Amino acid sequence: MKKFRKDGSRGDRGRHHGRSDSYRDEPHTSHSCRGSRTREEVVTPPLPEQTASGSPMATSVDFKTYVDQACRAAEEFVNIYYETMDKRRRALTRLYLDKATLIWNGNVVTGLEALTNFFEMLPSSEFQVNMLDCQPVHEQATQSQTTVLVVTSGTVKFDGNKQHYFNQSFLLTAQSTPNNTVWKIASDCFRFQDWATS
Amino acid sequence: RSLPSGHTMGHNHQVNSVQRRARCWGIYRRRFPNWAEPVSPSMHPSSRHQQDGDATASDIHMDSGVRYTPYAIPPYHRRGTFHKQDKTLANMEREQKSLERSIQGRRLDRTSGSWFKITVPFGIKYDEKWLLNLIQSQCSVPFTPFKFHYEKMQAHFFVENATIAFALKNVSGNIWDQDNERISIFVSPSDVPHFVHKEPKSEKVQQVKLTMKKRDDSQETLDIQKLQFDPDFMRHPEMAATPSKYMAASLGVHEENVTKVESAGEMDKEKGLEPQQMLAGGNAPCTTLPDKSGNINSILELFPKLLRLDGQESPRPTLGGTEAHKKLPTSKGSVFGSETLKNLVLQFLQQYYLIYDSGDRQSLLDAYHEEACFSLTIPFNPEDPASSSLCEYFKESRNLKMLKDPYLQRQLLKHTKRDIVDTLSELPKTQHDLSSFLVDVWFQAERMLCFSVSGVFKEVEGKSQGCVRAFARIFITVPTSNSSLCIINDELFIRDTGPQGIWSAFPIPMITPYSSSVAALSQEQQKMVPS
Repeated sequence: MKKFRKDGSRGDRGRHHGRSDSYRDEPHTSHSCRGSRTREEVVTPPLPEQTASGSPMATSVDFKTYVDQACRAAEEFVNIYYETMDKRRRALTRLYLDKATLIWNGNVVTGLEALTNFFEMLPSSEFQVNMLDCQPVHEQATQSQTTVLVVTSGTVKFDGNKQHYFNQSFLLTAQSTPNNTVWKIASDCFRFQDWATS
Repeated sequence: RSLPSGHTMGHNHQVNSVQRRARCWGIYRRRFPNWAEPVSPSMHPSSRHQQDGDATASDIHMDSGVRYTPYAIPPYHRRGTFHKQDKTLANMEREQKSLERSIQGRRLDRTSGSWFKITVPFGIKYDEKWLLNLIQSQCSVPFTPFKFHYEKMQAHFFVENATIAFALKNVSGNIWDQDNERISIFVSPSDVPHFVHKEPKSEKVQQVKLTMKKRDDSQETLDIQKLQFDPDFMRHPEMAATPSKYMAASLGVHEENVTKVESAGEMDKEKGLEPQQMLAGGNAPCTTLPDKSGNINSILELFPKLLRLDGQESPRPTLGGTEAHKKLPTSKGSVFGSETLKNLVLQFLQQYYLIYDSGDRQSLLDAYHEEACFSLTIPFNPEDPASSSLCEYFKESRNLKMLKDPYLQRQLLKHTKRDIVDTLSELPKTQHDLSSFLVDVWFQAERMLCFSVSGVFKEVEGKSQGCVRAFARIFITVPTSNSSLCIINDELFIRDTGPQGIWSAFPIPMITPYSSSVAALSQEQQKMVPS
């Protein structure tokens, strides 16, 4: 689950079929192997035909592709994000865009420096994610900047505090290279959900 | 006194069981700096050379002082001499005890070695530089003192390495001050000083607690031997290597009990722990362990850690040095960004939920973009009985944590407004508590407004009538030509609030009345919304 898996083959879906929360370590087809990439990067295969604005989001084939890609990105992302949050907190800001914003229980944190300070100040955490969902964001809103909405929920225990339910949502934007796509957080919204009984 | 023949200090495996037992309680002595003690009444106090020539001292310091022989008892520690030297050693013990107690419950850091606190009694008399230079001049290895400080009459500093600590012990009694009085150096294992700090993982601490619970609570003394080979304990091999670190974290042994353990060792030499058997193969450490300071540290750590009081609760995992002071930021209410956005969003939500709760969700068609997306999730938690009451939502739930089939992943994502509204129409009828809504407008771009709503709603009919649900919903919207918002992405998460349910307003009220300013808003909205 926590292994960094690079999706080398888009055609083969069978490996996902009916499995529970575990990911095999797929053979890497790209030369950009682990050694040259940090653990704090969310990477999926390159996006197809994504440049032209007005590219057909409406056609079912492309939509399907965007959905699949969103799911791969979301799964990859969530694994890395919460592990980094819990175990390598200082590296967490690498997952954010420079101008990213976090709204954390109503506290607004903007920009990498503020984010760095914020995450350093936050007590150590133990996250348990019970829900994950994602959607490709409609191009009309993003103006061809491929974006994925990722939503998570679960419980979290911050050191020195009681356990809370939480809801978190992210907007991930894609930065594409010929070989792969790197996803970064453009915006992040985190809330305890205090009225839920445990 | 001379050593009994055949009693070899460094090679314990040759010693018979009686002597081994004798050494056991001697281990309790080990925590005290007795073997670093410069003077024994049996030795001529003023003669340096005699100390060098003493078989005891040299045996302890064999192999250039690096080899640590915890189970070797210098003659003045054997039982016979102990009683004679009762007073002196007892004084030393007390002093060492007080030193031990002065060490607060800090944790050992395995990654940067073991820490030791070096104490020079009456060190207050000496200048720091002068003292350290003097010590270094006699010390067989170079050392780096950390956090040198004076405390009452004593001088203290920390070193990060067992080898260095032992070498420093050897210096004790080998240095003199200007008044020609011997300077003693006491060494005790220390928790990591606060500037270097790493906690054992909490789950491992819990594991130790679990293992410890198995121990007979009526036991006054801790049977380390059994603990070592406890199957639960051994499942975590790194814990077995340095169990003291984790044990200390979970022990919460009080000072009274510590004393008990010590005196149990003193009074009754027949009982007591046999530390050799704690180690793999039951052999003495000197012969079976590789001669690495890491393993030596384990031995050193084990007992002193046990015997040292640790009255604190088990530590929680921490990142930095001052974790105890880290607080969570205070939770605040809704975030809108601006009054304009606030009114825009609240107006939207009021309209949306008016229709949503009305019983006819088909009217929501106008709220959605032609190619909008919608998905719904409920939490995946097989142990959570509450989730089973969400069965009406289950078939639409697209929780990727449990749903791994890409085909289903696509299926359950509703695409086009027709599909979306049809799906919404099939969900149970609801009544939302607008006063419970918390809104975060968390992303705004030229053509995009993204906001989250969380709150509670009640189901007003069907099997789950009366059930209160907590929800979180994300709307991604684009502006429309008539200055309203059009939904392009809609994600809904629902959780049950449990049997009690909570039907009360969220402490920080979110919705403020705005009806009076609606007319004025539309102009403002037009200005704000790009064409």
